[in-house]
Amino acid sequence: MQPESSNHILSSFDSELDQLRIDLIQMGNLVLRAFESSVNGLLEQDIGRCNDVIADDDIIDQKEKEIDANGMAILLRYSPVATDFRAAVSTLSISRSLERIGDHAVNVARSGRKIMKHGEFPEVRLVEPLFEATRDLLNKALTAYTNSDPQLAMEVIEEDDKVDKLHNKLSKGLTTMAGSGGGDVESILHLLFISRFLERVGDLAANIGEDVVFISSAGDIRHA
Amino acid sequence: MVTTTSRPTATAEIATDTDPMNQPADTADKNREPARSHVSNNPNPVAKEEAMIEVDDVSFSYDMGKTNILRNISFNIPAGKVTALIGPSGCGKSTLLRCLNRMNDLVDTSKVTNGQIRIMGQDINAGDVDPIELRKQVGMVFQKYNPFPKSIYDNVAYGLRIQGIKNKSKLDEAVEKSLQRAALWSEVKDRLNSSALGLSGGQQQRLCIARTIAVSPRIVLMDEPCSALDPIATARIEELIAELQEEFTIVIVTHNMQQATRVSDRTAFFYLGELIEYDDTTTIFGNPSVTQTEDYVSGRFG
Repeated sequence: MQPESSNHILSSFDSELDQLRIDLIQMGNLVLRAFESSVNGLLEQDIGRCNDVIADDDIIDQKEKEIDANGMAILLRYSPVATDFRAAVSTLSISRSLERIGDHAVNVARSGRKIMKHGEFPEVRLVEPLFEATRDLLNKALTAYTNSDPQLAMEVIEEDDKVDKLHNKLSKGLTTMAGSGGGDVESILHLLFISRFLERVGDLAANIGEDVVFISSAGDIRHA
Repeated sequence: MVTTTSRPTATAEIATDTDPMNQPADTADKNREPARSHVSNNPNPVAKEEAMIEVDDVSFSYDMGKTNILRNISFNIPAGKVTALIGPSGCGKSTLLRCLNRMNDLVDTSKVTNGQIRIMGQDINAGDVDPIELRKQVGMVFQKYNPFPKSIYDNVAYGLRIQGIKNKSKLDEAVEKSLQRAALWSEVKDRLNSSALGLSGGQQQRLCIARTIAVSPRIVLMDEPCSALDPIATARIEELIAELQEEFTIVIVTHNMQQATRVSDRTAFFYLGELIEYDDTTTIFGNPSVTQTEDYVSGRFG
């Protein structure tokens, strides 16, 4: 947690930093919702939901551009230092990670649509444990940012291993299934892609965790 | 993947450096608060061997010791580096700067009431130290450029002539060299005999720097050297500081935080006559140990 600190002498500096933070939290909510919809669309065989995720990605992209512009304006106008500097720079980094998670939600929705168009494929249920682990990770990463909680952020970074393991297990199972002729190969292939997209979302959530730790401690724990 | 213990955070390093009893905590969150409350104001000191100037428990008063403007200041200023002194008006940073070449001697009631200032190991307030000799070693550049109402040439040659150098070719050589080192030569070489007061503000300040370095001091003190200059002239002076540091030890007082981050290697933050924190400039502006420092550098004071 950040130590209690007084306000800036320039009140506009405070309000712009606050707004940047609020915008990022909103973007995080949009991305989390898109991610959940993409996988739930697949699990519930709901093509409409998948279409919505693909269509709504524009909103996420616009939000990223807005956050970038506002973040750069803060860097230019106020030349922030110390915690303020880390908060501004990390917000830009987190918005990039979120935008890419949004793209992966679109990828999942597109693959999901293809599986559905190919007919019944009950094996989609196999993705559930990986989906739940990934969703929890993303949720925790966003909570860690919102509450400025580096300890929770460290948990996200550690638990990414769990997502990686679930992905490995699922992709092995699907490969075996494809080899033994246990299902429609194209659908198996798309489910394999989805498994890979979810694993990437886990990595990006871990990146967000690293940014949250950096904001509060200035420690660069990437690639450590 | 990343683990908690693989790389301690910057604050954790400080905590363990200063207090061996302080067990490294397992998260950044736990480290932060203890680090801030236990940390000394000088967590990353300059070794005595690297020091050009040692400020050792110095207190200073303008009224014969009734009130101390500086209280028990201790830190070492490294040789061949740029050290910035920052802090709000009245914090004592300029007073300390003026202690370093005994400019405060000009005020009758002022005196160092405690401690020692040593330059290259020599106590500069010892009875046998001549302040004029000291100031030859410790030159000063002021906030408001103050060339003498003389020609450009005479301004630079002034200190050398006082030292008794009369040989024309020696003076010519020294004037050219000093003006070149002050990055002014190409602009004034065709009008060395015109009045210094005809130069622009930025040029006058560089002339003052040329005048200061002409007598080959070991240390150059700068008291807000750019505060009266436009951004272009400021950039020229900053560029000059970077070049001069190879030859001189530079101590600069500045209110411009961005300037301190650009020009200095070390930064000392003063508040109400005390040294609050002294560390590498990147640490002071990137991740200071003391909350008060962070509040000041990020504009939260008051």
